[in-house]
Amino acid sequence: MLKIENLHASYGGSLVLHGVNLSIQPGEIQALMGRNGMGKTTLMRTIMGLLSSRSGTITFDGQPIQNLRTHEIAAKGLGYVPQGREIFGDFTVWENLHLGTLKLPRNQRKVPEEVFDYFPILKERKNQKAGSFSGGQQQMLAIARALVTRPKMLLLDEPSEGIQPSIVDQISEILKKINAQTGLTILIVEQNVDMVLETATRCAFMEKGRIVETCSMEDIRKDESIITCHIAV
Amino acid sequence: MDLPVQILNSLNYILVLILVAMGLAIIFGLMRVINMAHGEFFLLGAYTVVLTDQAGLGFWLGLLLAPILVGGIGMVIEYICIRHLYRRFLDTILATWGLSIAIKQLIIIVFGPAGLMIKPPLPQMVSFMGIEYPSYRLFIMAVALVTIGLTFYIFLKTDFGLGARAVIDNRDMAAVLGINTRKMYRTTFTFGSALAGLAGAVMAPLMSCDPQMGLGFFIPAFLAILTGGTGTLAGVLVGGGAVGGADSLISFLYSPVVSQIVVFSMVIVVIRIRPQGLLGTKSGR
Repeated sequence: MLKIENLHASYGGSLVLHGVNLSIQPGEIQALMGRNGMGKTTLMRTIMGLLSSRSGTITFDGQPIQNLRTHEIAAKGLGYVPQGREIFGDFTVWENLHLGTLKLPRNQRKVPEEVFDYFPILKERKNQKAGSFSGGQQQMLAIARALVTRPKMLLLDEPSEGIQPSIVDQISEILKKINAQTGLTILIVEQNVDMVLETATRCAFMEKGRIVETCSMEDIRKDESIITCHIAV
Repeated sequence: MDLPVQILNSLNYILVLILVAMGLAIIFGLMRVINMAHGEFFLLGAYTVVLTDQAGLGFWLGLLLAPILVGGIGMVIEYICIRHLYRRFLDTILATWGLSIAIKQLIIIVFGPAGLMIKPPLPQMVSFMGIEYPSYRLFIMAVALVTIGLTFYIFLKTDFGLGARAVIDNRDMAAVLGINTRKMYRTTFTFGSALAGLAGAVMAPLMSCDPQMGLGFFIPAFLAILTGGTGTLAGVLVGGGAVGGADSLISFLYSPVVSQIVVFSMVIVVIRIRPQGLLGTKSGR
């Protein structure tokens, strides 16, 4: 689905990604873990074309995307939920969701009903200002907004950050449900071990701008020291 | 001249000022470009009318043509110049300043440096509520009001407006949702230019059209945005009302010199107390 080969990219003038290799299969939920400052967010932003790569290739659905512009990458079917959620706080919930449909022709601009099946609270509060939401609700809105763009694959950057544990569990459940029902491929950057154990099928570890290890969740469940070895400070 | 007439004249000035300031504010809000050539778009609008008037085609065709022509010029300028300078704030100021000088000189080459008058399109006076008032000035107010209303509608109620406001708020996130930000910039720059062109054309019969006339609207429009704040379109209304109203009323009651001093002092005080402007919300962005 997504294949990254020897990707180099810089952020703020210094090289952050030193040859990332990563491959994600269709329909899987792959986690990406690593300590702070290892380049996880830079990798996400480079995939989305928000940062430009220095060298290497990113192939999505068989086509190279590393030289496309962000809205073209979105049009290919990559949805992105950034770190910190970045919802439009001054806009209503409905406006936030509707923004995801603007790339479509005028007569197809409708928020898919399934989105509200996954996140019923958004339907109840669709006229509320998104900025008045709690962190967890904003995260749900950010995920829903990405789903509205009808992606083939979803990139999530630290969805559990700053959110109370019960909501994290709820979001994990919803992500698994969406994956099971629609086959949506998901790449999730996360520091929350429980969330990764709960949702992912495979996990890659990033250190100093490279992927240093990739293993299945069974391996990790057998030996949790794999995780601590890569993310413990 | 008595006060009611002067108040109407002030209103007239305020509305046209808002028209100019709105274009400037939209371009700045969306693209972070301070368009120093905005006054020259006003100038080009006025000279479009001069051109059709001199060619014997009359004022009304010029009025219709001005926003289309100036919008088109804006689009071309965005394509060959501005789009290469996004995210280079100072460079855009220099580039558009250079552009403003070039346009002014071009006008001097074609039309000469002297002030040109055009035939008044609606010379009749209308009397109402005991005063006599030029019907053309009422026409200007109507045009400005409709255009301002339409702009608000476009930016607050349509899908295009929603997308534009999303780009203003968070450009990267808007792009992630599939919005073509560059196309949005081009459309907006064209729209902002067309607004200035329309304002210039509609004001041309009241002014002596000379190559410096753009400055007379650019500076107060700029002050209006500083006063009102850039976060919202409503800020432009408040800023335009404050700057335009103070400027024209004090000019009438005392003198243009006093009004300049008062307006500049007022703007300085507002910026000192509320750097984000009266209605502005975002200070850091």
